[in-house]
Amino acid sequence: MSQSALVELSRWQWALTASFHMTFPAVTVGTSVFLIVCYGAYLRTKQAVYLRMFRFWRRIFGIGFALGVVSGIVLTFEFGLNWGRFAHDVGPIVGPIVGMEVVTAFFLEAAFLGLLIYGDGRVSQRVMFLSACMVCLGTILSVTWILAANSWMQTPAGYVLTNGQFQPANWWHVIFNPSFGWRVAHMLTGVLVSAAYMIAGISAWYLIKDRHLDVARRGLSIAIGSAAILLPVQMYLGDTVAVQYIEKYQMPKLEALEGNWTSTNTGWNAFIIPDQPAAKNDLTMTIPWLGSAIANDWTGRTPTPGLLLTSPALRPNVLTTFYGFRVMFYASLVMFAAAMMGVVLRLRGRLYAARWFHRLVLVALPMGVLAIIGGWVLAETGRQPWIVYGKLLTADAVSPLHTWPVVGSLSLFVVVYGSLVGAYIYYVVRVVRQGPEGAEDPDAGRVMVPPRPAVAGRREAR
Amino acid sequence: MHASDVWMIFITLALVMYVVLDGYDLGIGVFTLVERDDRSRHEMHTLVARAWDGNESWIVLLAVAAFGGLPLAFGVASPAVYIPLILMLFALIWRGISIEVLDQYPTWRRGWGRAFGLGSLVAALCQGAAFGGLVAGVKTNGATFAGGPFSFLHGGYAILTALTATALYMLAGAAWMYLKFDGDLQRGIGRAGRSLTIVLAVAVAACWALLPAAGTTTPVATGPVRLPVWIIGAAVLAGGLAVAYRSFGRHPDRGPVYGALAIYAGGLLLLLGLLYPHVVPPNITVHEAASPAGSLNFLLIGVGLCMPAIFAYNTYAYWVFRGKLRLPKEVVQP
Repeated sequence: MSQSALVELSRWQWALTASFHMTFPAVTVGTSVFLIVCYGAYLRTKQAVYLRMFRFWRRIFGIGFALGVVSGIVLTFEFGLNWGRFAHDVGPIVGPIVGMEVVTAFFLEAAFLGLLIYGDGRVSQRVMFLSACMVCLGTILSVTWILAANSWMQTPAGYVLTNGQFQPANWWHVIFNPSFGWRVAHMLTGVLVSAAYMIAGISAWYLIKDRHLDVARRGLSIAIGSAAILLPVQMYLGDTVAVQYIEKYQMPKLEALEGNWTSTNTGWNAFIIPDQPAAKNDLTMTIPWLGSAIANDWTGRTPTPGLLLTSPALRPNVLTTFYGFRVMFYASLVMFAAAMMGVVLRLRGRLYAARWFHRLVLVALPMGVLAIIGGWVLAETGRQPWIVYGKLLTADAVSPLHTWPVVGSLSLFVVVYGSLVGAYIYYVVRVVRQGPEGAEDPDAGRVMVPPRPAVAGRREAR
Repeated sequence: MHASDVWMIFITLALVMYVVLDGYDLGIGVFTLVERDDRSRHEMHTLVARAWDGNESWIVLLAVAAFGGLPLAFGVASPAVYIPLILMLFALIWRGISIEVLDQYPTWRRGWGRAFGLGSLVAALCQGAAFGGLVAGVKTNGATFAGGPFSFLHGGYAILTALTATALYMLAGAAWMYLKFDGDLQRGIGRAGRSLTIVLAVAVAACWALLPAAGTTTPVATGPVRLPVWIIGAAVLAGGLAVAYRSFGRHPDRGPVYGALAIYAGGLLLLLGLLYPHVVPPNITVHEAASPAGSLNFLLIGVGLCMPAIFAYNTYAYWVFRGKLRLPKEVVQP
């Protein structure tokens, strides 16, 4: 049995299951905020269109939420199954944080999601609004706890090492570790942006098809307006994350994400083909001057540090780190540009008429999710070879398993998650095709079943 | 009392909540495989659809409680039962999706119904196998698991516990259905429940008798407390089996539920009497496995504050659907 093969397989399984999981919170957190906006607007204005919007987006929210929960359970078990040494070494720190996520976020969402989805006609409008707020609070708490745990792995603090085990010395320092604040802000803004583009994209599709115009126009306007505010903030937060934590604490990650080997490049690499063993790039496309400018030297003389500064064994994988960052960055540029064009069109009164813009927004629909997954690939592969940065090597964290059971489980995950992604897209497309009018009567088009419990949370919207 | 003992009580509570709650709905799932009547199967599906996801949240709590509170045990025990746990996760996903599809697309009922039943069966078998694999002992080397992918089988002992767990869950499912259904369906379940009680009694006795042969590494019964706990546990278990056997097919309809609860209670006493203070026999005790006090106190305060709300919500979920299952007239039967 090869130890490095086992580590690679376990990492692939984690990467696959975590990315799959991340796709759903990436849109449901922001959608839950949008649901509050819709229902709040309905309560204030009493316009039926806002209630239609609320019911329509609630269905799309419910499907993603259920898949997010199911795939989250898998991750909880994988901590022990594939990363048993990790579970032992960091359990006293990461375990309680994840535990708090379960008892605060998980159960809060469960309790109120049922009311939110099945409460029509059974609870008052006020309780319905409260449920939307509580579900949203649950999703935000969930992101916050998970970011606290992951940030601690990026910039560990507030612990003592006893017999190879990280034990809490100061919970305040553990949770508010150096990278936590900026990263959680970055992530929360990111999930809001990706939900905004999902909402904008589906609304744009209706505008192209000339259907459900009242719902589509309001959706597009709110989503693009929010994106126009959020994206400049997000660009600033992203830059701050790079400066305040990557540059300060994880230099090799910065070297890898910029794709330089020598520390001589004053430009900015747009595209590279790296050769990791030879410690060079086979091909580099560089935009001159830009790298120095990003480092705040406008004269163009400051070079970006390269990976030769880091010893070969401690270098992260350049391919994944570089392109994780590039996917996030390029997707953000597209979304930024689209949001700004949207603002201009809105000011000129052409937001609902410009077909080309609707097509652009439709193309940008998945960009937010792509950016989030790219960002996580950067954060996680750029931290390698460490699992707890500078303290615990990933290779020392893996469970002592034989290779073939992991090959088996990884293959099963590929098949099962592949079909689940297919089912999710199929179902969302179906709901979108049916349109908000289909959402008018929550019981339309299906068999009557007894009222569901107010509390039977976390299931698909029907 | 040590903080790790308090946490052990909490983990035991989460385990009991999970086994009692999800146990009956897994058992009902297995029953749907042998039930021939469409209408009855539909009633079983409805009974599960209302409750399964709330029931399953306890296994998540169980996993994180072990991760945060007993990291050594979690890190050693999980890889030891990798195959059954991974299969169980897939079975739970599969089953959750099947029951939701069943709920929404009545035309595809037959295929998805079978998928739901099989998922329930696999999940029950895997949980039993993982249980047997752990109780019969895990080979360790310091803080790591030192066995192979199939060492959880213990020469077939895990297969016996897998079947026992399935019988136990089916009995719990039968008890719950006996309470919630009436008419012919209830009578049929009463007959099945009686047979299951006998099967379970034999299976439990076999598990107990064969454990020393399977688990050469099981801790020897020592100490003044063990024997009384065993005697009480065995008495409660036997009493539960007798109550279940007697009350299936009789009034009041809640009798079998009491029997099943007593079986769980007796089984838990036997288990604790057998293992405590070990959590991963034969080498790892709860005190060795526990997180330091700083982690346990954080968990006890944080989780403790949330538990009343969690209990209130779960109680409410069952209170909403108290009484016999009533399907509305509009249900269309294929």
